[in-house]
This record gives sequence, C-alpha cells and structure tokens, in this order.
Amino acid sequence: MTPSAPAPAPPTAAKPAATPAPTREVLPNGVVLITQEHRAADVVSLQLWMRVGGRDERPEELGLSHYLEHMLFKGTPTRPPGSIDRTIEGLGGSSNAFTSYDFTHYDIVVPAAHVRPALEILADIAVNAAFVPEELEAEKQVVFEEMRLTEDDPEKFLSRRLSELAYSGHPYGRPILGTPELVRSLDRERLNAYYKKHYVPRGMVLVVVGPVTPAQVRPLVTATFARLGGPSAARTPAPPVPPLTGGRRDDVPRPEQQAYLGLAWQAAATGVAAEDIQAVDLLTYILGDGPSSRLNRTVREDKGLVHSIEATYVTREQSGLVSVAARLDPKNLDAAEAAILDVVRRVRDEGVSEAERQRAIVTAESFYAFDIETAEGLAKSYGQAETTWTLDDELRYLERLRQVTAAQIQAAARKYLADANLARVRFLPSGSR
Amino acid sequence: MSRRRAVVLLLLALMALPGSVRAQAPADPVRMVRLDNGLTVIVRENPVAPVVAVALLVRMGSRWETPDNAGISNFTHAVMVKGTTRRGGGELADAVASLGGKISAAGDVDYSGIQATALARFWRELLELTAELALQPRLAAEEIDRERDWLLSRVQRRRDNAPSRAFDELYAATYRGHPYALPSIGTRESLGRIDHAALVRWYRAFYRPERMTLVVSGQVSSSEVIAEARRLFGGAPGAALPPDPPLPAPRSAAERLVVEAQAQQTQILVGGLAPSLDHPDHAAVKVLSTILGGGMAGRLFVELRDKSALAYTAASYYDPVREPGLLVLYLGTAPANSAQAEQALVREIQRIRDTPVPEDELARAKGYLLGRYAMDRRTNERIAWHLAFNEVEGVGRGYPDRFRRAVEAVTAADVQRVARAYLTSLTTVILGPPGGR
Repeated sequence: MTPSAPAPAPPTAAKPAATPAPTREVLPNGVVLITQEHRAADVVSLQLWMRVGGRDERPEELGLSHYLEHMLFKGTPTRPPGSIDRTIEGLGGSSNAFTSYDFTHYDIVVPAAHVRPALEILADIAVNAAFVPEELEAEKQVVFEEMRLTEDDPEKFLSRRLSELAYSGHPYGRPILGTPELVRSLDRERLNAYYKKHYVPRGMVLVVVGPVTPAQVRPLVTATFARLGGPSAARTPAPPVPPLTGGRRDDVPRPEQQAYLGLAWQAAATGVAAEDIQAVDLLTYILGDGPSSRLNRTVREDKGLVHSIEATYVTREQSGLVSVAARLDPKNLDAAEAAILDVVRRVRDEGVSEAERQRAIVTAESFYAFDIETAEGLAKSYGQAETTWTLDDELRYLERLRQVTAAQIQAAARKYLADANLARVRFLPSGSR
Repeated sequence: MSRRRAVVLLLLALMALPGSVRAQAPADPVRMVRLDNGLTVIVRENPVAPVVAVALLVRMGSRWETPDNAGISNFTHAVMVKGTTRRGGGELADAVASLGGKISAAGDVDYSGIQATALARFWRELLELTAELALQPRLAAEEIDRERDWLLSRVQRRRDNAPSRAFDELYAATYRGHPYALPSIGTRESLGRIDHAALVRWYRAFYRPERMTLVVSGQVSSSEVIAEARRLFGGAPGAALPPDPPLPAPRSAAERLVVEAQAQQTQILVGGLAPSLDHPDHAAVKVLSTILGGGMAGRLFVELRDKSALAYTAASYYDPVREPGLLVLYLGTAPANSAQAEQALVREIQRIRDTPVPEDELARAKGYLLGRYAMDRRTNERIAWHLAFNEVEGVGRGYPDRFRRAVEAVTAADVQRVARAYLTSLTTVILGPPGGR
C-alpha cells in the first residue's frame, strides 16, 4: 500500500534498533503532535500534515490545495520571498512538499542543532503565508509547466490517467493540479479564503522525529504551534466512491514509440474495509512486486509480452487502488492484457502458495525496516497514518499482516479483482514520428 | 544503469560530500581489509535499522568501451543476474525475495557492479548470492538475445524521454573522441553487435579481484562479515594487471545544437568540460554549480523559476568522475518561453563570471552542498555505495573529509576564477517540439 501504510514498526528479529514508541498528544487548540526519538543520524525531520487536499475542494476551488503547497514556502510578512529556502539550505537542510487528495504535506529536514528555526518556519507558514501578488501570478506559469512535465512522463501520466478514470465522478478522480482555466483565473482573495478556512490548528498534524526527546521538543512546540488559533469547523467527510461496476476504458494517443497498459481495480482503504488492507498488500506483492512476482514471471519472463510490469496498491481514505502497469510493444497489447487477467484469475480460482505468502510477508517487513533507516521515512509513515488512518493502526500493521492466511489473500482477490470491474488505460503510439 | 540514472546518482554524490558526519559512534565503525588476491573488503557496522546493504563495484564501464561495443559493461551485468552455474533466473529471484531483498546490477561510467539489500538477519545469504552472481554467472547464450531486446526497449524509452535524450545529446557533443560520450546503456547499433563471445571476454577481462571492492553496511558484525567475505571471495585467482591506458582528451563541440522532439516541454542544456574528481578545482566547481543550480535557493531556480517563471526545472549537475567532468546547467521550460529562458541562462553565466558572489550566498551554497552530502550518506544502501565509489575512483576513505575541508576553504575569488576557467567553451542543446524555437 503506497501512500497510506508503509511505516516503521519494531524490527522483528535481529537486534532491535533502539527505537522507542512515538508519543502522541493533542494540544488544546487541536494540533496533533507526534514525536519520536530516533538516533540514526544528526538529522531531524519536521513534518506538517494538513488535513486538507484535493478532495476538499469545491468545483470552483479545484487545484487550490496544490497551489497553496506551492505558495507556502514563498514567504510570510516577516520572511520575504526566497528567504525561507535560503535559510533552510544554508543550515544544511532541505524542504519539500506534496499534495494528495486527503492531505497536504510539508517537510523540513535539518541538522539537529537547528530544530528551533525550522519549527518556527513551519508554524509561520502554516498560518501567515503572505501570497505576494506578483509571486502568486508568477507561480501560475510554474504550475502550467508542472502540468506539461507530467504529460511528458508516460509512467507518471499513466498512473494519473488511471486514477482519474477509476474515480471519475468522485473528487479522487479530479486533477490535483486543477485545470489551466481555473489556475489562470485564480486570485489572491480566493486562495486566501481557502487557506483561512482549512489551515487551522485542528487540521494540523506535526511530526518531529530525530535525535531529540519529546521533552526537548514540547517547549519548542508550546512557543509555536500551541499558540496558533483559528476556527474549528469539522472537516466534511469524503463521499463514498462510486463502484467501477462494468469497468471503464480509455485509449490515449501518445508520442512515444512504445505502448503502455494500465489496469486498476478499487480495493480496501483505511476508511472502507480496512480489515482487508493487509491481505490486499500481500496480494499485490505476490502479483507484481519484483522479479519473483507472478506477473513478472508469467507475462514478462515466460511469455515475453512486456518489457516491464509491476503491481502497486495505493490507498486513499475512501478507496484503495490496485494497479498493474506495463510497458510493451503495441502489437502485444491484447495478448498482454489477456495474460495479466489470466494471472489474476488463477489467483482468484486457485489461491496462492504458502511460500508466496511467506515471501510477501518478508517483503512487507523489509519495506518497514528500510523506512526506519531515516528520520523522514519514519515521520512520513506516522503523519500519513494520523491523517488518513490512525497511528495505532499503523503501529499494529505488521503484526496483523503476519496473521493473514493464504485463504484470506485469495478471498481478497475474489472480492476486489473481478474482470468486469476494472479501469483500463492504454497509451497508443500515434506513429507520427 | 542508464546515463540518466548515472547522472542522478553522481549528482547526489556531488551534492552530498560527507563532510559532517556528526552522529557517528565513538569508535570508527568502518573496517577495511585487502584480501591476498587483491580484493578490497569494507564493512560499516550500523545498528540503526535491521537491514543490510552490499555494494560490489568493479573498475569496468563505459570508460573502457568504444563506439563499437558501447554498453557492453551494462549488458554483461544484465545477463549476470539472469542465472549462475548453480541457479536459474527464477530461483535467483525467489531467493532474493525470500530475504526481503533487492539485487540490481548495472554498468556505469567509471565503474560497474552489483548492489543488494536485505533484512539484516539474512546478511549471510545476501553475501553468498552476491558472490555467486559475481564469480559464477552462467552468462548463457540464450539469455543474451532476451536481454538485448530488453535493453533495446530501454534505449527507445530513453529516446522517448525528453530530458534523458537531451542529456545524451549533450554528452555526445561535449565528449567527442572520448568514451564518456557513449551512453552507458549502449546504442541500437552497438547492442546489436555485441555477441555471446564478446560478453564472456569482457566479463573475464574485468571481473578480477584487484579491480573489485566489496562493501557491506548494516546491522552486522564486521569480523563476521570479513570472515565470510574471505571464504566467499578469497578463492578467486588474482593476477597483476597492466594499468589502464590513457584516454584521448575530449573535443567539445562548443556549439549550439537544436534537436526536434515531440514533447510538451523544451529542454535547454548548457555544458562545459570541468575538473575530474581528484582535481584541485573540483571543490570550487562544486560550489559554483551549487550557487547556480543547487536547490531552491540556487540562482537558476530563484531567477528563472521563482522570479520570472521562465522554467519549471532549473538546476545544475556536476558529477564526480575520474576523467574530465561536465558542468551542466539545465532548464525545462514551455516552448513559448524557451528563447527568453535561454537568454536568461546566458545572463546568469555572464554574471557569475563578472561579479564575485556575495559572502552570504557563498555560505548558503557551502551549507547546502555539505548538508546534502551528509544527508545522502544515511541509508545503508547509500553508505555502502559511497564507500565503494571512493575506493574504485582511487580517492579512498579519507576523501569525504578532504572534500569537506576543500569546500570550506573555497572563496568568492575561487568561484569567480573557476567560473571563468570552465564556463567558457560551452555546448548548448535545445530539445523540443518543432516550431518551439
């Protein structure tokens, strides 16, 4: 499960790393603070997770969550444009941000000596972003470029088209960047209203992971995030996702010489049938994670129908999406699709072997173990869990995963991966070159 | 490994020279031994997470290739992981998966090799698999055609990807007459020409203990790992090898090339030959590159993206390599803006040649450069790679500290001097949709 689960969890065998459990606290103003001491390196990860994203936008607000993400690091009344990046980078740190449908995420990684200035920056941009008009206008071109850039990358664009098709009619199916028309007409007033409405303490999750103790972090938070005020209207829950009954198809002419094929099914999510998540994770690994997976073995190695193939499982709060993406010669499109569906059918009909189940569990353990190598890896799993799931679910993820049986994996395939209920996107070379 | 990936890796390497390794255990956690047959073994104990990473790098790569066999190092590695004398491809894949592991093998510019990770409790199995792939590959004739098809599909994919293709065009134009001009993945023509016999010869010529460095980093005991490495690799016969012959100097095109390609974006690349990794000017050019295009406070990002929105991507690249390096300034822009963006880029080059960089900007660049270097050496996979890289490039374990000191010593005058020295004979590649220019 990509966005919503990979997390830390205590190492299984081997000498356990000295990783204590995270501390979670809800401040009086509603900010959730999660801290964890992590002495892997002299680096602290500070992450702000906002409970707002593409799904919260009204039709005329499309793209505003993402636009805010672009504008926040640009400055506040006390931090002129450019100074935030200069400060963080001069400290030997870096910053990043991304927008999804259920959340927006901001992070700063700095050497441990500089936690205070980094935290002050995060708290400042969370409520005081300036939206200097010239900066706001100039950023439109940057967003247009981002739209073009995604289109030029066939793998990224396939995944986006697939998700838009699988969720058409639902906020999850809308373009996260908005549309060129809406971005063009965007003004400061509309952006600021959206910001004031959603960037409130109760929508904030602050995660601090690194060689610092919760007792060291708490006073810094008292002086910053704990002081923020603002309205506390509850977030509107995301509507349920319309099922893919009967399936959907889309063919897209593309400039590449090679074809791309994407198939996707809706599956369990943190907010819907969460008890199936671990089984779907294991199922996805068995189908399409790495060279030993069934799709790789059958469709690529044995039949030679594709150049590459993989399966992924991405969850949003209201729906998960199991996707299979392949790069191939256009002449093999039909045969490859049939072969993929046959691999899936066999899992539905015959189930998976105990050896496959064991390998998939080790794969999951491995993802966890590699996530805890860095402070930001750990912080990311906590922040995502807190915004779209619960921290407790996250911490118990591996333990539950180990209990999933082969029969439950087969049941998940039967429940979710029906031939009829899939979204299919094909990129067809236009042959114009 | 494709050139693009090589670029990214090297880039990271550049940006992040180790410098401040503040969170180290009191004792040096790195141990190094040289086996009797010449193979170097380095172990880094790292208790942070229950994982282990292995890097086995070999001095073999496009540096030793010619236009006729370009890509043969990478091709050899693609076939090596398809089976050993003991196990077929499927069995290998299952074995790796059952360790929670990943194994990749690829050819690069100055080195090639195998990189692998797994859960730490399987470190012995992982090391054994690595040894098996390196020393007993099957190199079966029937795998060659399959892998050639796969590599050709990747050559096509690179051609379909505008940034990769633009970088390939720039390397070809700036390194004329030098093997760095060749794409690590090879070309349609060279891949079509390489046969089973050539591949086996290539493997035998290069996979020799004296050319190899094995690094293990993770939740392991160094004495156990060294004993196991000795058992697995110590038997490979060593032999004194002649030194590598010198290479001809590259002849830069120093011209402006326009390439038409269907894409939404136009790529603008400006490149100039620059110092090698061990050259006294290396650190100053790293700082120069960082001032121009390192991070979101780099000049290209600030001036071309933040202030004028003329480009979406605005960065610089300067990979550490053994032979002359290449300083690349890179923009991805809307076709309608490309003329203006290119002019703005030329202005930035002129500015840094003409005017000394202010002290605060210099300090920002150094902080960023050294910070990134430290950040890049935190996961076991990257730690292992850096240790192996410094060894195969011949700069050794002391390099990170030397580099940090060299960066700290760079002055504004140094930056201006190297800007004038290396941003002179420049090659430009513009790749975009017809009519965009």
